[in-house]
Amino acid sequence: MTTARQDTTPAVETARAVAVRFEHVTKRFPGVQALSDVSLDVAQGSCHALCGENGAGKSTLGKILAGIYTPDEGRLFVHGRAVNFDSPRDALAAGVGIVHQELVFCGNLSVAENLCLGTLPSRRGFVDRPAMEARARALLAEIGATMDVHRPVADLSIAQRQIVQIASAVGSGARVIVFDEPTSSLSQVDAERLYDLIRRLRERGVTCIYVSHRMPEVFRLCDTVSVLRDGKHVGTHPASELSEGDIVRMMIGRPLAEYFPPPKSTEEGREVLRVQDLTSPGKFQHVSFSLRSREIVGLAGLVGAGRSEIASAIFGLDPDARGEIVLNGEPARIDDPADAIRLGIGLVPEDRKKQGLVLSESCRHNTTLPILERLARLTWVRESAEWQLVREYFKRLGVRARDPDVPAAGLSGGNQQKVVLARWLAANSKVLILDEPTRGVDVGAKAEIHALINELAAQGTAVVLISSELPELLSLSTRILVLREGRLVGEVPGHTATQDGLLRLMAGLAA
Amino acid sequence: MSSLLKRLLAVQETGLLIVLVALAIALTAFAGSHVDPRTGETVNNFWNSYTLIQAATDASFFAIMAIGATMVIISGGIDLSVGSVYALSGVSMALLLRAVGPMNPVATTFVGLGTALGVGLLCGLLNGALVVGLRVHPFIITLGSMWVLRGIAFVATGAMSILVPPSLTRVVKATLGLGGGLYPVPMLAMIVCTVIGTIYLTRTVMGRHIFAFGGNIEASRFAGLALRRIQIGVFVVAGLTAGFAAFLGATFYGSTSSGDAQGYELYVIAAAVVGGASLIGGKGSALGAMLGAILIVLIRQSIRTLHFDQNYEWIVIGCAIVAAVVVDQWSSRVTARRLSRGSVAATKQ
Repeated sequence: MTTARQDTTPAVETARAVAVRFEHVTKRFPGVQALSDVSLDVAQGSCHALCGENGAGKSTLGKILAGIYTPDEGRLFVHGRAVNFDSPRDALAAGVGIVHQELVFCGNLSVAENLCLGTLPSRRGFVDRPAMEARARALLAEIGATMDVHRPVADLSIAQRQIVQIASAVGSGARVIVFDEPTSSLSQVDAERLYDLIRRLRERGVTCIYVSHRMPEVFRLCDTVSVLRDGKHVGTHPASELSEGDIVRMMIGRPLAEYFPPPKSTEEGREVLRVQDLTSPGKFQHVSFSLRSREIVGLAGLVGAGRSEIASAIFGLDPDARGEIVLNGEPARIDDPADAIRLGIGLVPEDRKKQGLVLSESCRHNTTLPILERLARLTWVRESAEWQLVREYFKRLGVRARDPDVPAAGLSGGNQQKVVLARWLAANSKVLILDEPTRGVDVGAKAEIHALINELAAQGTAVVLISSELPELLSLSTRILVLREGRLVGEVPGHTATQDGLLRLMAGLAA
Repeated sequence: MSSLLKRLLAVQETGLLIVLVALAIALTAFAGSHVDPRTGETVNNFWNSYTLIQAATDASFFAIMAIGATMVIISGGIDLSVGSVYALSGVSMALLLRAVGPMNPVATTFVGLGTALGVGLLCGLLNGALVVGLRVHPFIITLGSMWVLRGIAFVATGAMSILVPPSLTRVVKATLGLGGGLYPVPMLAMIVCTVIGTIYLTRTVMGRHIFAFGGNIEASRFAGLALRRIQIGVFVVAGLTAGFAAFLGATFYGSTSSGDAQGYELYVIAAAVVGGASLIGGKGSALGAMLGAILIVLIRQSIRTLHFDQNYEWIVIGCAIVAAVVVDQWSSRVTARRLSRGSVAATKQ
């Protein structure tokens, strides 16, 4: 990189110095052109958003800056100096840190050990524990956080792990920090804390690069927005000159007629599911509600409020749950998911990759997994019937897979979620419980899934919708049940609720 | 034609088959030949019906077990007890037949086969029930049953060899019209087991559930699969195949003892893994297990045929197993890359 060295003349002195410059960056993965010829500047001390749909290349760009990936072509400058990172370690040495979910900590080690990993303070060859813990506390204090430094990282929440990551990055002198979709698994309250932390970092002159496709937070935090589409840089503008609609348009390359689907029919159906006094010790208590066909009932609550736990209990996954579940007027005995499926309940779980799909198996096999026995004569699977079913539902849901026999691992998040949905449509579910159905799904597929949920409800399916995205909950639900610390604390009609009011109920603040 | 070729190349086992064919060609080329004193014809030292069927017979006993073991491995487990199940099944069969006394050949065959399969099934059931009931990893449970079952066989026989009735041996050593000291029954049994195993794994509900279970147990739970039944099921199948192999092996050689098939569990696991089964679970096939067993036997055979020092047999086999798995992983990565490239091309159209 001798030629690069000659370019170390201070970057063009505009209003603000350039902290990071990408020049003609190109990155290919097997079968994917992740980035092609991306050039953009990030001003020092700014909070710069990288927006784009899933697969647009925004995370790849962030990871290149943090040394996780190396670009195939193009150059990278940090504070005016050409850099060539081979590892996150190199990047950190040059003052670039990253906060992202997959970043591996040693889960079995404590917070203190993780924060000091690599430079463990030692005395006569033994680890000096008090010194290590003091240093860890100091690192946390520097970003205004406190935490029990003895706890193993595996026991921390995602929000706490992020704090550890940030402390570790700042502690090693990072002047640029990449945040890779930091709020995708955070509750609203934890997200607020993160926003505060980012604000404080900026006050100290740290440049933040914020990878996200969530509009509200981009506008709250960022002063500059760069949009990527299909690996290409579409444009960079000051946030003040853009509207949400502008960014969405740039992201998808066409105007979205309806970001959210229209309100649904309010026609009342008959009661399909009634949950009475459902309790699972330590998770939720005395939960009762009913669900009619054609209805979409939202479950709102902060992380840990018991939303997913209730879904699991109804689906027969919680052996400790007590209470009554009435289906179509008859008491139902649900001991395991097989019972629930037989009774016409379907669950789209929160974690698609761990709970929803067998990634190594084909999309076809994944679709028919719960109903294989129904498709079999004796034990022989009638593949023609299976193919017919799979083709029908893939077409109806618009699953874009080259061939239903490719492994589910090869599909995008949106298409994977459609496969999980196709499964329950094929199983002919009358009650559908959707736990974060659009998490990690790109904007286009999200709109399609929203439309599908409405369509299913209109056709008579009763839907329970769990979502951490309040706009999604508000626009889709007929009613919203609010949970707090395992108890049902309120019910609001979907069309009159406001985000603010809902949030207050969820957090237990006075209205 | 080219699409057929492409489809063939996409099949997991093709790589293994190519290696087998290449090895067979090499062996034929370098084996040399001798003149048959009876007929006066020149015979290749490897490529002759006697050596080939002998190799297939050697392979058949643990190929059959490897088919069962593959199912355990696909489910994400492991079965270390198959060698002991083999010994106990064979010994039980021989002891029972000796106690019953002479019968007509058909009855002897039925009682012998029934006993071997029954004991194998019970051992598998025991393994499966312990794994599910005690929630202990299959490695530990089958490590224990490996010693316990062989110990039972040892006590039951008083450490003696038990002869199998000659009438039964004549059934398994039937020449089926081939003559000349050729005994094709074990080889045919291996092929039949492979066909049944393939059908079971790919076309039945149970088989498909095994793949799902091994690929992602959590997602299988969420899909309502009967997890316990699946896990017990794979051990039962592994036990059954060990019992069947014991029936064939014991009758073929004419006697059994508690020391039979010692160390077979490792050959069996090696065959399954060389055949493409992944120890992480979710991947494997019956055909692969059979081809893997044949490959191991051929490697052993090649040492003899090419007059290498037999003392090096274990070293060669050990290296070959690791090499085979590394090549298999490499080729499946290449295939995955080609597949993903194809899917991008398709979405862009």
